[in-house]
Amino acid sequence: MIYTLRHVTTYTYAKPVSFARCSLRLKPAEGEGQSVIESVVTIDPSPATAVIRRDTFGIETVGITLDAPHTRFRVEALSKVRVERAPPPAPESGRGWEAARAAAIASRDLGADAPVHFLFPSARVPLLPDVTDYARKSFSPGRSAYGAAFDLMTRIRADFRFDAKATDVHTPLSEAFALRAGVCQDFAHVMIAGLRGMGLPAAYVSGYLRTIPPAGRPRLRGADASHAWVAVWCGDGWLGLDPTNGIGVRDDHIVVARGRDYGDVAPIDGIVSGSGKQKLKVEVDVIPQDEAEALALVG
Amino acid sequence: MSSTLGAAQVTAGYQAATGPDAADEPDRLARWTDGYRPEPGRPDEYRDADGRPRGAWPRLLERLARLSEPEIMARFVSAERHIRDTGISFRIYGDQREHAWPLGSLPLVIEAAEWRSLSAGLIQRAELMEAVLADVYGPGRLVADGLLPAAVVAGSPEFLRPLQGVSPPGGRWLKLYAADIGRGPDGAWRVLADRTQAPSGLGYALENRMVLGRTFPDVLESLQVERFPAFFQAFREGLASGAARSDPRICLLTSGPYSSTYVEQAALARYLGLMLVEGDDLVMQDGCLHVRTVSGLKRADAVWRRIDGDFLDPLELNPASRLGIPGVIEALRNGSLVMANMPGSGVVESAALSPYLDGIAQRLLGEGLKLKSPPAWWCGDPAGLAHVRDNLDAMTLRPAATPQRGAGRDAILGPQALAAERERVLAAFRDRPFDFVGQDLGPLSTMPAWERTDRGLHLVPRPFALRVFAARTPDGWRVMPGGFCRVSERENVDPIEMRLGIRSADVWILSENPVDVRHLGQQATPRVRRISGHLPSRAADSLFWFGRYVERAEAVIRLTLAHLRSVGDAVVTDISGDTEAPTALRIRALLEEWGATRSADMPTAALAQEALVGREVHGSARAHVISARTNAATLRARLSGEAWRVLADLIDLLSLDAARAFTESQLLGRAERALSHIAALSGLTHENMNRAAGWHFVDLGRRIERAINTSAFTLAFAHDEAGADCLGVLLSLTDSQVTYGARYMQGVALDPVRDMVLLDPYNPRSVAFQAEAIGRHLAELPALSADGIPEPHCRLAARIVAALRSGEAADFDVVGLTRIEDDLERLADTIAGRYFPNGPHALRPEKLAGLA
Repeated sequence: MIYTLRHVTTYTYAKPVSFARCSLRLKPAEGEGQSVIESVVTIDPSPATAVIRRDTFGIETVGITLDAPHTRFRVEALSKVRVERAPPPAPESGRGWEAARAAAIASRDLGADAPVHFLFPSARVPLLPDVTDYARKSFSPGRSAYGAAFDLMTRIRADFRFDAKATDVHTPLSEAFALRAGVCQDFAHVMIAGLRGMGLPAAYVSGYLRTIPPAGRPRLRGADASHAWVAVWCGDGWLGLDPTNGIGVRDDHIVVARGRDYGDVAPIDGIVSGSGKQKLKVEVDVIPQDEAEALALVG
Repeated sequence: MSSTLGAAQVTAGYQAATGPDAADEPDRLARWTDGYRPEPGRPDEYRDADGRPRGAWPRLLERLARLSEPEIMARFVSAERHIRDTGISFRIYGDQREHAWPLGSLPLVIEAAEWRSLSAGLIQRAELMEAVLADVYGPGRLVADGLLPAAVVAGSPEFLRPLQGVSPPGGRWLKLYAADIGRGPDGAWRVLADRTQAPSGLGYALENRMVLGRTFPDVLESLQVERFPAFFQAFREGLASGAARSDPRICLLTSGPYSSTYVEQAALARYLGLMLVEGDDLVMQDGCLHVRTVSGLKRADAVWRRIDGDFLDPLELNPASRLGIPGVIEALRNGSLVMANMPGSGVVESAALSPYLDGIAQRLLGEGLKLKSPPAWWCGDPAGLAHVRDNLDAMTLRPAATPQRGAGRDAILGPQALAAERERVLAAFRDRPFDFVGQDLGPLSTMPAWERTDRGLHLVPRPFALRVFAARTPDGWRVMPGGFCRVSERENVDPIEMRLGIRSADVWILSENPVDVRHLGQQATPRVRRISGHLPSRAADSLFWFGRYVERAEAVIRLTLAHLRSVGDAVVTDISGDTEAPTALRIRALLEEWGATRSADMPTAALAQEALVGREVHGSARAHVISARTNAATLRARLSGEAWRVLADLIDLLSLDAARAFTESQLLGRAERALSHIAALSGLTHENMNRAAGWHFVDLGRRIERAINTSAFTLAFAHDEAGADCLGVLLSLTDSQVTYGARYMQGVALDPVRDMVLLDPYNPRSVAFQAEAIGRHLAELPALSADGIPEPHCRLAARIVAALRSGEAADFDVVGLTRIEDDLERLADTIAGRYFPNGPHALRPEKLAGLA
C-alpha cells in the first residue's frame, strides 16, 4: 500500500518567542517492509540553522534554531510511503520467552536496533511491580515470546478504556495504569513496562494508522491522528503489536520512529524563550493511494 | 564510659586529660596504644595481622606524643573553630540545613613507597577507564568481541546515547578520576568504587589540609608531608588543555547553592581561579558556549561540570533538567568546548563492570589490573547468576547500574538486610537478575581514631574509606598526594557517604625526602592580571540585591530606632513623648507601609519587636537580612569569609524568640548593635572587595536603595508643613544631626533640612551623594554598544543627577519629591534590565508543549 501523509503542527504563542531550539522527528522510517518515496518538511518561520542527524535509534532528527521573534511556529511534513510487510506470525509461534530473554541479554550489539537498548526502564517507562505482576499472567513457562506478548496486548485492549480525556501527554505510567484508561501513548507505555518487567526488550513506535471513513462519507481533512504502538523483540527480530486496537502490525501502520518511549520519538520537541501561553494544533491526514484523488476534491 | 571525640567534647576533655598526662612521651604513647585491638580478620592501618605496628603510623604517633594531650586537643579544637568560622560545610542529601564540616580525626598516614605503588595502580585504572569510554562511545569493539556485555553498557542510566560517535574535544573523556579505596582481607588496597562522573571531595581535601597546615605546621614539616599546590596547578592546566584559545575561560558548572557540596565547589572555583556558573549563566550561540556577563556574551572554552551528565542538556538528554544548557552537546560535537569529565563518563561507574575489568585490561593494556575491586558477579551472566544464587546469604546484592541519584542510592541487599526489604529485592531479582551484581565485600578496613575515657586519651580502630584522585594533565596522569578520608565514629558504620556520625580526616603521604615548600610556590608563574574576568549577569544580580537588602534592613532598623526614641529620649528637639503625637504616628504609618509591621496600632515595644525581628512580616529587618543572605549564598566564591561571618552574626542578633516580649530598652540595644554590624559589613565590602565589576554592583544596590529610602523619609518627615519634631526625626534617620547642628545654630527649619538630606553632595547620606555615586559606577561599568551614545540607564541617571545638582530646596515639595522617587525606582529597573536580563528574576526557557 502507498500512503500520502500530511502532518501539520502549529504553535501559536500569546507573546513573541525570541529564540527557539527544536528537534523534529517527522520523516517516516526506512526498512522492515517500508520505503519512503518522498518526504518534505516545511518550517515557518524559516530556521536560522538546521542540522540533520541520525540518533542512536536510527531516527532522522532535524535540529533547528529560530532566532527572530515570532508568535507562530508551523511545521508541515508531507511524505509518500510504500508499506508492504509480511503478515504477522501465528500468535503462539516462535522462540520461547525465556530463551528470547536470554538471547537479548547475551547479545553483543549496541547498534540502532539492538535489543539491549529496550530492556531497561526509561524516563517515561519506569518498572513497576504492579505492572510486572499484571503482565506475568500472560507469561506461562515455555510460552512463545510472541504468543505471550500477543496475549498481554489482547488483555490490555480488553481491560483498558480508550479515553482521550483521562490522560494527557505528561500523565505518568502509574496513573494511567491505575485508571485502566488513556490513549495510544498510555496503552503502549503500559505494555512496554509489562514486557520489560518480564525481561523482554520492548520499544515504543510512533507513526500513523490508516483509518476507514464511515461508509458513504468522504474522508475529512486533518481528522486523522498520529498513533503509537509497541514493538517486541522475540529472540531474532522485532514484531509490532498495537494494544490500542488489539492487532498485530502489518500494512495499516506507517512507522516514523522507534525508541524507548515517547520521549525518544516525540515528533517535535524543543525549548523556547518566551513567557506567554502556548497553543498547539495538530492536523494529520493519512491517505491511502486509492483515495488520493478524492482528497483533491475535498481539499 | 567512653565516646569518640567531637568538637564540643574536646574542650571538656582537657581537664580529664591533664591529670594522667603528666607522663612523658614513651608513657603517653604506650597509654594511647596499649588497648589498640583491631577486629580479627579486619585489616588495619596501624597494626598488621600479627599485631605489630606498621607503615608510617609509628612515626606519626611518636611525633604527636612529643606534644602534651592538652596541646594536641587545643590544636584540634582550633582546627574545628577555624572550620566553623570559614563556613566550610556540607549538606546531607535531601536536607536543607548545612552542617559544619567535621574534621576531628587523626590524619591517615601512608608511606611514600606504598603510595607509589598505589599511585601506579590508580593511574593504570584511570587509563583503563578512559580506554573503555573511548571504545563504548566509539567503535564498540569490547562489546562486539564479548569482553563487555552489551546489556551492562545499555543498562547504565549514564550511558548517554547522544554522545555515541562524539570524540571528546581535547581527546580525553576523563580529566579527573577518583576512587574510593580500602584494604581487602589480604591487606592489599582495593577499589570499592570508581568515580568518573563528577567526583567530589577535592575541595574538602584541600580545606582539611589548609586547616591542619595552620594547626600542625611543625608536625607536617618534620614528618615531610607531601604538599598539594603542584597537583592543583597541574589539574588546572589539564582542565584547559585541548581548548582552542590560548588563554581559555574555564567555568565550574555548579549544581547550585542547594546541592550537598556547593560550598566545596565555590571553594575550588576560588582556589583554582575558575568562573563559578550555573546552567542559566550559560547559553549556546552560533554553535559555541557562552557566559552571560555584564559585558555581554563571552566565550566559555572549558567547563568543569559538577552536575550529572544526564542533566547537562534538557534538549538532548534529560528533558526534566533545570540545571543544564539547551543544545550544549552540539558544542561537544563540533569541538568548540572542552569538558571535564565528558558527559556519559559515568557509565564506567557501573558496578556490573568490575567482573570484566581484568579481562579488558589484558586486552587493551596488555597487563592485568594492578589495583583490583572486591570479587563481583554480574547476574546477567548465567555462571555469575548461579554463583550468586548459591551464595546469596553471604553476598551483597547491588544494582548493576549505578542509580543516578537520590533515594535508593544505597539500595543494596547485604547479609544484614531486613526481611521485608529482602523479599522485595529477591522478587525483582527473579524477574530481572541482570539488574543485579553480587559482591563479596567483606568488612571495611580500620585506622586509629581518638577516644576519650576517664583515664585520658586512647586510640581505637575505626572503619574508614579513602577517596583518592588522579588528574589528567598535559604531562599525563598525576595523583594527588593525599586524599579525602572519611572515618566512622562508631565501629560498624560504613563511612562511604558523608552524613552525621562520619568525620573527615586529612591524608598525609610521608615523603622520604624533605619537601621543598618554597619551590612549590614557584613552579608556575601565572600571567599577571588585574581584572579577574567578566562578571556573570546572575552574580551581578545577586550582588546588586545583596546591597539593596542590606541597605533596606538598615533603613528599617533606623526607622524602628526613631520609633522607640520618639516616645522616650529626645531626638534633636524634645518630642512630647506622646504616642499619639503626629510625628510618632507618621513613623508608625511608614513602618506599616513598608510591611515591617502588620498594624500601626500596636504598643510601642511590640511594634518595634515585630519591625526588627518579625518572622510573619515580609518587611522586618530580619526578613531583609535573610534575603541578603540568600543572595549572598550564591556568592560564596566572591564574598570574604569575614563578611559571611558578620552576616551570620547579624541574623543571630535579629533572631529573637518570637514568643517572648522584649522591653523597649532591650530592643533599642539590639537595634543599635545591628546597626554596628551593618556598618561592619559595609566597611568590609568597601575595604576588602576588589574594585572589579562585582563591587560596583553591591555598591550600586546600596546607593539606589538608600536614595529611594531617603526620598521616602523626606516625603514623610520633610513634607510641606513639617514641624521641628518631624525634621528632627529625618535628621536622625539620615544620621545628619551632628552635621546639621554644627552648620546651623538656630534650630531645625524646612529648607536647610531638605537641602542637607536631598541636595548636599558632601553629605554621604543625601540623595544627591547617592546619585553622584551611581553615575560614577555606571560610567565605570562595561558598555554594550560602542557607538558612543549613552545607554538608557546612563541617560536616566544623568537626568537625576542634573535635577539634584541644579535644584534648590524649595523645588522639592511633595510633587518634586515624588518625581525623584519615581525616577529612582525606574533607574533600578533599567539597570536590572540592562545588566541582568537573564538573572534569576528573569523568565526561564520553556519546553514546547507536547502531543503524542
